[in-house]
Amino acid sequence: MRPWSLLLVALVALPLIVGVAGLPRHDAPDAPIHTHVGTRYLERGVAETGFKNMVTAVLLNYRGFDTFVEVVVIFTALAAVLALPRGETADPDHAPGQRAPADDATGAPEPGDDAVATAAVPATSGPRDGSDAGRAHEVVPVSPVVLFVVRILAPFLSMFALAMLFRGHITPGGGFQAAAVFGAVFIALGLVFGLGRVARLMPTGLQPWLQAAGPLAFVFVAWFGWRLTGFFLGFPIDDHTTQEGMGFVLEVAIGVGGGVILARLFLSMEA
Amino acid sequence: MLLFGLDLDYVAAIVLFCVGLYMLVAKSNLLKKLLGLNVMETAVFAFIVTAGMIEGGDPPIMVQGTSAPFASPIPHAMVLTGIVVAVSVTAVALALIVQIHAHYGTIEVDELKELP
Repeated sequence: MRPWSLLLVALVALPLIVGVAGLPRHDAPDAPIHTHVGTRYLERGVAETGFKNMVTAVLLNYRGFDTFVEVVVIFTALAAVLALPRGETADPDHAPGQRAPADDATGAPEPGDDAVATAAVPATSGPRDGSDAGRAHEVVPVSPVVLFVVRILAPFLSMFALAMLFRGHITPGGGFQAAAVFGAVFIALGLVFGLGRVARLMPTGLQPWLQAAGPLAFVFVAWFGWRLTGFFLGFPIDDHTTQEGMGFVLEVAIGVGGGVILARLFLSMEA
Repeated sequence: MLLFGLDLDYVAAIVLFCVGLYMLVAKSNLLKKLLGLNVMETAVFAFIVTAGMIEGGDPPIMVQGTSAPFASPIPHAMVLTGIVVAVSVTAVALALIVQIHAHYGTIEVDELKELP
């Protein structure tokens, strides 16, 4: 198997190398990437969109449809993951003693698991009560160092995510980046304090709406733009305040919705 | 920086791509295959973002303190799209791997092939 793999890799690498050899130097100012539509965006982007961050301008305004479908893609991925049947073991013989009968992440743990979890966690480990610290098949003692670092870092990471969300218009950042950090905070907390506990942070009734926040906000803003300009997802070109407001709604929705989706994806892996 | 007339940054992306491709085809563990796919995706993103850079350029944010030339904003936006798609693919693949493990107790392709 291995020689064939190497041959395949070489066969793929060769045309790539040849192709790259014909490209202009990557930071040359006269490369086509800097002489076509990108230049126009840079020259007139602020006047046309009101955004100061040109990446945001391209993302939400010039290529808004792309981003619209993008948030639908990640929402669809979550739907697909949640639609898979969960916790079924078709043939127990194939999986001898691998997993205790798994209940839902938010479900009540069994008494037996409690004992295992409590034993595995040092008594000095702070707020972790062990009630939902994990089921028998996945109990790993959490290192006090990890616990401490995550507890210290979590507020700063959240602040960082918020900063990227709300200062993304004048600094590098934006909705998707904030969503990634939000998701990372959730996952880190979930790994340390138990997934069930983190799952409860998100209110059940609100969760479907938060997960769909991105697509819903896009539909709303698209409709709003249609009422204003006559075009689906149209931005009023002269009114910078309205444009920035629409962009803000989209960014917040992407940030919150994306973060919730990432966290939910992670929680769902633990079927 | 050039290496035999080739742009070293592009070559690095190709090397990364090939490492990922090798993982994808040579490993029999599904999780490692997925990691390989992610490495390949990262290589493509690095390649595209690198292509958008410009000599002495600033990030394309029009505020006080930045000045032309600016890096091209389009590759950044495109790569954001790509990352989202990559995350979606990874999530669905991971969920399927979890299912495969739950059903068959293994995620090795070799062993899965031998199952009745």
